[in-house]
Amino acid sequence: MAEKTKRKIAFPMVARYNEVVRYFVEEGLHQTYIMQPKMTRRTLKLGVKYAPDMVCTPFKTILGSMIEALEAGADTLIMVFGYCRLGYYGELAESILRDLGYEFDYLNLAEYTTGKNKDYLKAVKKLNPKAGAVTMGKAGLDGLKMMEDIDSVEDYYYQNCGFETTKGEFRKALKQFMHDMGKAKNRSDIDSGYDRCMEKFKSIPIDKGEFPLRVGVLGEYFTVMDEFSNIDLEQSLADLGVEVHRWMNVSHRNLHYPGEKNLHPRISEYCNYEMGPTSTANIWYAKECAENGYDGLVHVKSAGCTPEIDIMPVLQRIGADFKIPILYLTYDSQDGDAGLQTRIEAFYDMIEMRKKVIH
Amino acid sequence: MDLIRMPKAEKKKGITVGIPRSLLYFRYGVLWERFFQELEVRTVVSPPTNLEIMNRGSRRAASEMCLAMKIYMGHVEALIGKCDYILVPRIRDFGIRRVMCANFEALPDVVSNIFYEAPFQVLSYDIDSSKKKDERHAMVEMAVSIGFSHGRANKAYKAARKAQNEADVKQAKKTEALYRRKDLKLAIAAHSYVLDDEYIGKPIIKYLEDNGVTVIRADQVDRKQAMKESEKVSPTLKWELSREMVGSLAMHHQDIDGAILLSVYPCALDSMVNDMLMRKNKMAHIPILQMTLDAQTGTAGVETRLESFIDILKMRREVEAGNGRENEA
Repeated sequence: MAEKTKRKIAFPMVARYNEVVRYFVEEGLHQTYIMQPKMTRRTLKLGVKYAPDMVCTPFKTILGSMIEALEAGADTLIMVFGYCRLGYYGELAESILRDLGYEFDYLNLAEYTTGKNKDYLKAVKKLNPKAGAVTMGKAGLDGLKMMEDIDSVEDYYYQNCGFETTKGEFRKALKQFMHDMGKAKNRSDIDSGYDRCMEKFKSIPIDKGEFPLRVGVLGEYFTVMDEFSNIDLEQSLADLGVEVHRWMNVSHRNLHYPGEKNLHPRISEYCNYEMGPTSTANIWYAKECAENGYDGLVHVKSAGCTPEIDIMPVLQRIGADFKIPILYLTYDSQDGDAGLQTRIEAFYDMIEMRKKVIH
Repeated sequence: MDLIRMPKAEKKKGITVGIPRSLLYFRYGVLWERFFQELEVRTVVSPPTNLEIMNRGSRRAASEMCLAMKIYMGHVEALIGKCDYILVPRIRDFGIRRVMCANFEALPDVVSNIFYEAPFQVLSYDIDSSKKKDERHAMVEMAVSIGFSHGRANKAYKAARKAQNEADVKQAKKTEALYRRKDLKLAIAAHSYVLDDEYIGKPIIKYLEDNGVTVIRADQVDRKQAMKESEKVSPTLKWELSREMVGSLAMHHQDIDGAILLSVYPCALDSMVNDMLMRKNKMAHIPILQMTLDAQTGTAGVETRLESFIDILKMRREVEAGNGRENEA
């Protein structure tokens, strides 16, 4: 990467987390952050056009949103990696973009895998060699706080928004919160934005009844968190009058992950080893929901996601053992939501009838 | 009438370990069989894949699993009733950027969940760099778990590893010699569990050979050298099996007339690696055929594509030979 003091940095769209990256880039690295537009059908179409046919869908959306970031004026792209195919996303996306003729600097964190975590820090420092360690550290911590806030706001939102008495109040508060995060310049902006939002949430009148339906959503890391990729799955469920619970988010999986060692003993009757990067957590969460009497589970993944396909036999066993209905959803680059809506409604009807029989 | 029958005291007989003739069997078969032979444990290997095994496997497996996984489940089913244990190793990685496909990480648990009512136990060894477990550790640990001493297991492993290494080197040398042939040479890049499979891979090799092509398998290569070469082609490529193949193609691309990238549907690794290969300029001058195999039962479609690809290669050769003559004249 060339030495440059002024950069316009962008990051592919991932759920609501881009505000966190923006905060770190602006406050920690003192560089400009370019926020590409929210993902639309166009994003996916771009990705589908240039990505290999059989790669998992997140690669296609990420590639599409990288193109949109470059179109929006970014000159530097950051890409992270993961333990599945995600680990190779960075390099393949770069060579596709270069073949298309785009010119940009690229920080692919996968290139810095050496076994030592501090080498990733070295990589980040390349974005602004003059950035001080203290400023970066502070902005990093603030950013992580913002991430936790976003996750807990989302948790509260999807567990309650289906029961509001006046339609749209929760949405409005969530929008205001994301707007506040987008404007945040320091820790107190983050904190006050969060407090305001939670206060607002708690003041909205809701009518849950005695036994609201509770559904646990789990599955592939990216698709389950990103509402564009799962075509508003959680919102659709909530709108039918369901408490939607989801454990999988970046704070839980990456920041406060109890670790394979601590989660595994709770599912040792189902598997002997860690089956994949998010498998232990997903199996554990499925069992947890089942034990706590949830009314159903929804397993989400993109087509061809190997680790998630591999845990399906385990989930089927949990479903049979605890008699909990599971809806398996596979997302491909489809752009219509009618088929999905039908399946969600049918699932809802089924768990609702079941609940009436039980109570 | 005795309602309660006490189980008869069973004589302690030797155990039998079943080995599915699928997936990593074609990479570690010698190692496994020799290891158990040294320990004097009886082994039984499932028969070569046939249509029935594939169909039974498809029924057992999750519908979205790749064809190779489906076939594997068919082999496991074929071993039911023939053994006490079935060997299903868990191989996650050998170190940084030496990762196996996620399926090999999950395999023992996938098998034990799909077949949780079946009367066999899964016998597994666990290779995982995050737990600092290499192959020797893992296999010795497995032998100890079924009642062998450390010393004996260690000895068995050494002999078995030596045998596997010798077999690999011999095979690589044999394949290397093929690149020096003068006739039409076609490199075929596919996982060994595809090419060595009696039902899906071998018919393709046979068809090509019957049509006068020298088929060279990219996976049979000096692995160390191939790993090094792959780093130059694609620095963050992290899958052991893909790296060997990419390196192998990089080492030999000047010696071949064409290449076939053969995958099973829907192979996660190949979905990205094949695209990368097509993009690399180095490869751009050789004709490449990308082919994906699914659980189809007819071969006509495959044969048509292979036939036309061979025709293209032959024509290319003739044209090049013609150009050569013109230049000489």
